Amino acid sequence: MSSLIQRGLLLALVLVLAAAVACEDGGGEPTPEASPNILAAVQVPYPLTIVDTVGREVTIEAQPQRIASLSPAATEVLFAIGAGDQVIAVDKFSNYPEEATTRQQLDAFEPNLEAIAGVESDLVLLFYDPGELADSLERLGMTTAVLGSIEETPESVEAVFDQIRLLGQMTDHVQEAEELVADMQDRVDAVEEALADVEQGPRIFHEVDATLYTAAPDSFVGGLYKILKAQNIAAGAGQPFPQLTQEVIIERDPEVIILADGGYGESPDTVRARAGWGNISAVGNDRIVVIDPDIVSRPGPRCVDALEALAAYLYPERFE
Amino acid sequence: MRLFGSAARAELLPEAALGALLGRALWPRLALGLGALLGAAMLAAAIGPVDIPADAVARIVLSRLPGVSLADSLPQSWRDIVWEVRLPRVVIAGLVGATLALSGATYQAVFRNPLADPYLIGVAAGAGLGATAVIVSPLDYTVGGMSLVPLAAFGGALTAVSLAYALARVGRTVPTVTLILAGVAISSIATSATSFLMISHNERVLTTLTWLLGGFNLSEWSKLWWVLPYVLPAAAIILLYGRILNVLQLDEEQAQQLGVNVERVKLLLLASASLATAAAVSVSGIIGFVGLIVPHAVRLLWGPDYRQLLPMSMVLGAVFLILADLLARTVNSPSEVPVGIVTAFCGAPFFLYLLRLRQRAVF
Repeated sequence: MSSLIQRGLLLALVLVLAAAVACEDGGGEPTPEASPNILAAVQVPYPLTIVDTVGREVTIEAQPQRIASLSPAATEVLFAIGAGDQVIAVDKFSNYPEEATTRQQLDAFEPNLEAIAGVESDLVLLFYDPGELADSLERLGMTTAVLGSIEETPESVEAVFDQIRLLGQMTDHVQEAEELVADMQDRVDAVEEALADVEQGPRIFHEVDATLYTAAPDSFVGGLYKILKAQNIAAGAGQPFPQLTQEVIIERDPEVIILADGGYGESPDTVRARAGWGNISAVGNDRIVVIDPDIVSRPGPRCVDALEALAAYLYPERFE
Repeated sequence: MRLFGSAARAELLPEAALGALLGRALWPRLALGLGALLGAAMLAAAIGPVDIPADAVARIVLSRLPGVSLADSLPQSWRDIVWEVRLPRVVIAGLVGATLALSGATYQAVFRNPLADPYLIGVAAGAGLGATAVIVSPLDYTVGGMSLVPLAAFGGALTAVSLAYALARVGRTVPTVTLILAGVAISSIATSATSFLMISHNERVLTTLTWLLGGFNLSEWSKLWWVLPYVLPAAAIILLYGRILNVLQLDEEQAQQLGVNVERVKLLLLASASLATAAAVSVSGIIGFVGLIVPHAVRLLWGPDYRQLLPMSMVLGAVFLILADLLARTVNSPSEVPVGIVTAFCGAPFFLYLLRLRQRAVF
């Protein structure tokens, strides 16, 4: 058993490190051509050299036509900016848009070098490198970029914008990327404007899983709640995804409970049935909602959908 | 020579002092242990990540007695926290600690092996596989508001142990060494299957790992009914066999000559201990260390007589796990630390201290 736990811990550690590395880079690249109106008209000059989120210099020789995206968020971005036709393989969690699921499937966490090499990709996108995978792929002649997960980056939306712009550049869809970012920015602005006079929003508990893991303010999801001015009851937990002690949740009395674990059997009914939860405000006032964990935790274009859905749920009177 | 003698005598002093303090008979030390248990339970009930004054805790608990209402003026959230969350947590932690320590002592006795713990022949690995299979499965794992995880863990544990037992059977006997080897092999298969499930469903790795490391965060009174129906009869059976376990320590052949039906006793005791452990593990996850170390601590303190070792292991196991869980929910507040980490991290130094205090092999 101990070897299993060791392996589990190791995997968890690797995941945390990968995320931490991504964090260090602030989740985005300072691109020299940041101004949308200049970029809109300009073709990307290949060869293009970018710096990925783990600090590797990546040179793209020509517009990639056979992209292998081992990042669900990157997959969503690529399809949203019109580069979907250039994607030939995705990881098994890339379930959106529907069209992405028709591509060949690879495994992002236990990547098999041979399987990835087998698809003869000209650009491999990783969000997590289990250990020199990127370099190995480069040695096999495949251009590889690590676009680190930004799940632990609280400046969520900005970081997503940066990654969208970067992917636009890499795939020569600069204009579409800028349009997507502008559209997302408008929607974020609209939410912020509607909440401009809100001093303090409701207390929320965002449940990641039934053992009471939650998203603290220092996480991507937590960043969305910051925009919404919600008071996250996990504040002060000192880590992005803490497991809260049950009595703390009862004491801090969330007014709204958001279930990101609806896919695993949790529902307003199961929350109501928990011992000691009956007098929590959210339970008494029937303000428990299930949200699709993909849109809320995946740093892709749909994070704005999540933001709008949460805004409507937290402030029903302001968003009819 | 004289000098050497007095030095040796001096070295024995702590032991003598401890012996004098704790007495030689079972009852004084049992009373002492139960006192410690009550103290640990009260401490654990009074302290938590939410600051609730000790007198408020006492009033809330006493208000549960019929005709007593001392808590009406206290916030409802305090009453919920103390009665619905904290107290069941303390009670279940104590029960699981007692069960693991008792089962560990039983395994050590039956296998006559100081390294035996209640997970030796597959309970933990089987439970881990059962729980993980449910956690990663895309199906809802609550049915009618009840989680399937404990049920699957329980089933997995019993399946693994039964398999090991069936595989180790030679004619009408089950040689203990063969049983250990079969258990280790079954555990290894179950563990690798668990690893595979974790790796291939890495989106659930945190939930799975948390379960594997054990904890009491989701304790509630209803979980007692998961454990008690198995633990109470199992504990009663095992405690009654203290004298026979003493005889078993001699040699199986000698025990046979003394009129003990060795095969039957082994089966009965292993089945009881495994059933109780499986029930405990199904509500708490896999908490290591308790079942291995607590019986040894009792041996070091009070000697190897199973008639006292079994009950004292239960008491000490309960005290130990209640205190470990107290740390698990307070050191990283408002977050949890898996209690299995605490038991190993804090228990091992204490055990080493005992080991140094009495520098002779006691097993």
